[in-house]
Amino acid sequence: MPVCEAVKFSMPEYWYIREGYEERTNSFFDKKPEPELIKEYSLGEHDFVNAGNASGDIKLSLKRLGVAPEVLRRVAIAAYEAEINMTAHAKGGDISGNIYAELIHIEFLDHGPGMKDIEQAMIPGYSTATELVREMGFGAGLGLPNIKKNADVLHIESEEGGQTFVEILIYFE
Amino acid sequence: MKNEFFHAIKIVWENCTGCTRCVRVCPTQALRVRNGKVQLDSRRCIDCGKCVTTCPYKALRTTADNLDSIKKFKFKMAIISTTYAGQFAENIDYPTAKRALFELGFDDVASEAMVTEMMSRMIRDYINEHKDTRPIISSHCPAIVRLIQVRFSSLLPNILHIEAPMSVLALYFKDKICREKNLSEDEVGIFMIVPCPAQVTAVHQPEGTYKNAQDGAISIQEIYQQAMCKMKEASESDREIEIYPGGLSWAISGSQADEIDDGNIRTLAVSGINNVIKILHKMENHQLDHYDFVVMHSCINGCVGGVLNVENPFIASSRIKRLLRTAKHKNFKDKYFYDMFLKGKFDVKPLEPRSIMHLDDTIKSAIQKMKQIQLISQKLPGLDCSACGSPSCEVLAEDIVDGKATIADCVVLLREKQKK
Repeated sequence: MPVCEAVKFSMPEYWYIREGYEERTNSFFDKKPEPELIKEYSLGEHDFVNAGNASGDIKLSLKRLGVAPEVLRRVAIAAYEAEINMTAHAKGGDISGNIYAELIHIEFLDHGPGMKDIEQAMIPGYSTATELVREMGFGAGLGLPNIKKNADVLHIESEEGGQTFVEILIYFE
Repeated sequence: MKNEFFHAIKIVWENCTGCTRCVRVCPTQALRVRNGKVQLDSRRCIDCGKCVTTCPYKALRTTADNLDSIKKFKFKMAIISTTYAGQFAENIDYPTAKRALFELGFDDVASEAMVTEMMSRMIRDYINEHKDTRPIISSHCPAIVRLIQVRFSSLLPNILHIEAPMSVLALYFKDKICREKNLSEDEVGIFMIVPCPAQVTAVHQPEGTYKNAQDGAISIQEIYQQAMCKMKEASESDREIEIYPGGLSWAISGSQADEIDDGNIRTLAVSGINNVIKILHKMENHQLDHYDFVVMHSCINGCVGGVLNVENPFIASSRIKRLLRTAKHKNFKDKYFYDMFLKGKFDVKPLEPRSIMHLDDTIKSAIQKMKQIQLISQKLPGLDCSACGSPSCEVLAEDIVDGKATIADCVVLLREKQKK
């Protein structure tokens, strides 16, 4: 498992790496190469109207690059869920889609308020969504599990009262 | 480039002023103005007809077969789109409008409406047999089938792989007439009377068809024009006319979906190409998997909105709905027809993609292209004024990278340069 900043400062974190992708993933985080293309977006709190635009745009770019439909679909779902999380549970944040020839690395850094218990949030059906968010039809507690299902790598760092950082990796092949 | 795609949309060069109105509305970015005249990329065009309705100078028009082309057949049959019923003023009843076709030289006339009820049954069976594919997409609108081929190829397996009602009727009648009249297939001419260029193209270059039984496509406009001259004869004729009012509403967006919905099949109806594109994006992200059947029409309000109709789409649908309420319901039942379906005679081959989305052959080279496009885009003003002849600044950047335009084509940059 890659060693990152969070471990040093003992910030709670969560790692998921799909079986068989450990080596490629470790080497990616060790080298942290410069992306070929970067797509950046920012999102406001409870901006449900625009939530989905960033993931839609990332998907469109990958489609134009010729990424296989099945991979596109996984990117679209994982990125959309993370984007919705940022709108529903956080005070908005920034998204960066880093495109490489063989993978996409998407980073989500929100403006807080952080998560109490990451492991618990990974359990399908568990949700801390507010009444407002539920009324909007979100907050079923399936966001993070759904990201995990579609991503090859999912990494979350969060602390109550602080920011939440989510990153996902999806390999094109 | 070899012109491998047939298109019903043709350019009338002498009428084109190079105004770029059409360039901006094309949903597949198939049009450019170069050297003051419009150009059409045959690979991208889906024959939706949006450019034809937008052009104020009649520089883009639809070509269809003319009525004379029926003469070379011994037996001539017309198959009319359901929109035909909405075209005539209310003092001309539908049976008379249908009789006029006999006066124009057709030996028999059938309406799309005849088989829609049976088609509904076939479609419901298909939906229930393909439970692992959701949603199933109606194959009714040929512009939508082509849109999926060029822009949403991952959804091709979702398309209902059964011919649309008019093609089904063509297959059925070609077979039936040949049998009953003892004629060979090339002696029987089956002509579609159609409301849009996409249907003309579908007759001349059908997608996924095993056997094309359609011999030509004549526009509703042309038939209307000629039929109006024969109305006196038609109204005096006592020829028996069969009408199937139950199926007439298929030309109107929403009707097909409502008919398929039997309480267990969840349906969605969408019309207008821009709405359709948004829905297809959602579908591609699997956000609409809870629908069983989706019917999409390129034209607003469905086929009644096709550019080859005469009447305004909303008036036409009001007339059709009135006809539906007042006419007696009638069912078409034919064992031979259903047998043809069971034997797979109306099946469609797996549809092939014609993707226009990929920037280059490999992801690596496509990334390089996208980088170049981004760099050029940053230099462009971002006004999307289309004065260069491309639909937007981003597409101009793409055209420059592809060597089809230069940065000097940007009028805004040129003016800034002159000011300096």
